[in-house]
Amino acid sequence: MRKILGHLLWAVISVLAAFALAGIALNRGEPVNSVWLVVAAVCTYLVGFRFYARFIGARVMGLNNDRATPAERLRNGHDYEPTNKWIVFGHHFAAIAGPGPLVGPVLAAQFGYLPGTLWIIIGAVLGGCVQDFMILFASMRRDGKSLGQMAREEIGRVGGVTALVTVLLIIIILLAVVALVVVNALRDSPWGTFTIACTMPIAVFMGLYLRYWRPGKVLEVSLIGFVLVVLAIIGGQWVAESPSWARVFTLSGPALAIAVIIYGFFASALPVWLLLAPRDYLSTFVKLGVVFLLAGGILLVRPDLQLPALTRFADGTGPIFAGTIFPFCFITIACGAISGFHSLIASGTTPKLIAREWHAWPVGYGAMALESFVAIMAMIAACALPPGVYFAVNSPAAVVGETPQAATATISSWGFPVTAFEMEQWAREVGEQTLLHRTGGAPSLALGMAHIFASSVGRQFLGFWYHFAIMFEALFILTILDAGTRVGRFMLQDLLGHIWKPMGRTSWMPGVIFTSAVIVLAWGYFLYQGVLDPLGGINSLWPLFGIANQLLAAVALCVATTILIKMHGVRYMWITCLPLAWLVTVTFTAGYQKIFSPEPRIGFLAQAAQLQAALQAGKVANVAEAHALIFNARLDAVVCAIFLVLVLLILGDSIRVWYGVLTGRKEARPLEAPFVMTRLKPEEI
Amino acid sequence: MRQVKSWARLLLDLLRELADENAYRRHLVAHGKEPSPEAWRKFCDERLIARFVRPRCC
Repeated sequence: MRKILGHLLWAVISVLAAFALAGIALNRGEPVNSVWLVVAAVCTYLVGFRFYARFIGARVMGLNNDRATPAERLRNGHDYEPTNKWIVFGHHFAAIAGPGPLVGPVLAAQFGYLPGTLWIIIGAVLGGCVQDFMILFASMRRDGKSLGQMAREEIGRVGGVTALVTVLLIIIILLAVVALVVVNALRDSPWGTFTIACTMPIAVFMGLYLRYWRPGKVLEVSLIGFVLVVLAIIGGQWVAESPSWARVFTLSGPALAIAVIIYGFFASALPVWLLLAPRDYLSTFVKLGVVFLLAGGILLVRPDLQLPALTRFADGTGPIFAGTIFPFCFITIACGAISGFHSLIASGTTPKLIAREWHAWPVGYGAMALESFVAIMAMIAACALPPGVYFAVNSPAAVVGETPQAATATISSWGFPVTAFEMEQWAREVGEQTLLHRTGGAPSLALGMAHIFASSVGRQFLGFWYHFAIMFEALFILTILDAGTRVGRFMLQDLLGHIWKPMGRTSWMPGVIFTSAVIVLAWGYFLYQGVLDPLGGINSLWPLFGIANQLLAAVALCVATTILIKMHGVRYMWITCLPLAWLVTVTFTAGYQKIFSPEPRIGFLAQAAQLQAALQAGKVANVAEAHALIFNARLDAVVCAIFLVLVLLILGDSIRVWYGVLTGRKEARPLEAPFVMTRLKPEEI
Repeated sequence: MRQVKSWARLLLDLLRELADENAYRRHLVAHGKEPSPEAWRKFCDERLIARFVRPRCC
């Protein structure tokens, strides 16, 4: 009887998933409620989790709870520790949840809610979750080895070195793009700038509190830090309303970019316990809290989606970023559907905490499904805004016009009515001077979230919620910035240490300063270029980041496919080969278009050629700036080409190994740790 | 009621894990030490250095 009820329940969930997906895909002409998106997403994740992931776990991976995991075999009380599966789940989710799934869907909403939503759901179930699950499994069976180590051992030296260089380059682009998101969110915003500036002394206070006054009381100090941050948000309103203080905290884009670059340098060189670690704790708790708060807000308010299913910008003429749905929607969504970065986490801390092999199922597959749901919530938040407001916030001045009248007239002419008065009113309600041309995705996400929160507790708090959301985004983006700079510094020191030994010592101060400066200047250069870009920077940097991230996913899927071929021959290679083929097609099409498209808003080389022609015709007012823009466009083209070449290298190397294994010329031995029977008792987990 | 308690305990445990408080406790057990400012600083230096050499997710 129980079995029949179980079958019936899954039949209902499957029908609901199909019905809701069909509902959002086929509905035209009338507003769709956000609940449809929530039901479609949740039911599809559940079906994918219960059937597809279970099939992969049982038949393909052969997960076995009798087999001792590295957490048990190598238990050391530090990294390796058998841990309750829900705690590992929370740990893993907190580690993989970054700004990507929040910002990407907001930007992709320019195509309408449909393309992005479908890719987030389908891409996650068939691609992203499978990648995370496979890499976690592979690492777990290999004593918790990293992706780079597995690439080197399973594919070869070329694969390993390529993976390392790809990661370093991706880190630089990632840091530049997330820094640009923060700069665009805080530009000319005294309230936001004051709040974020306050998080630095607050973090230092937390660091000192933990180090000297109450050692070990992390939860306690995080709570104190959270209260102080909320007070800073409230104080920010006072600052914004005081003419003299508002002037101090009103910074232009370039000034903020320089401040962020200087901050990044010092934060990565300072002791970890002083600034980075306390802010990391605080941002983790705030991040998790806001995700659940947003989920609660959406379920409570159930807003209608104001944006249509498909907008006219499907043809590639979008104001936020240029390019057609294929391939740019998939590049832009990035982490919400599949993220290469997750493979670094799934082969980092997580496999060392898994107590039973089957726990990799909810942790690997389930946590990514939850991350994908975060992306769905971001999409809902963006689409719940009036479309005219959404485009007015996200469109750069060079596309829609400088003045409020010109910008709103252009956007209204596209069929998304909005007035200058309406925009002024929104800006006044959230305590900003203007909301126009605030590209980058973060301000519109914050506005969408504030709109949802305020709808449930009262519109008079719109300003607080807007700045709370901005604080939440900036807080964990800045944590990524200093942690990422530090990681880049270590990688560079490791690399340079082979040339000159002292440079490899992480305690040698000149080496620390030199490598920190190199990494900060590398991402700082791209950040500054983005700030000066008349198209808002996001138009060129976000696709570059998306391409890089998806290419890293391609590297992870190459490793996973190699392992599957060594385990089962061709039988199950489709599981990772299909998402790999899709990713390679999408990223290479996007990469090719970003380099060679004749449309200057898409192709870097065409953009450089157009500027060059204008320069030669004497139509440029600022010659030095034009030269810089031409150089930047060519540099972006070179970086994009490097990404493509790196992935071609690893793909070619993988195909060589697959061919060798399938034709019997190469040994098909997966390099797993030997089987050891578990001795872990259920009460120990 | 028992179920609510067990969920609350799990949530608190998760928060402690995220805050490294559980890891600190394990560190003390592994090294046979009592909680002290010195022990915390030593744990922190080892743990945090190891944590921040890994890339952050986007």
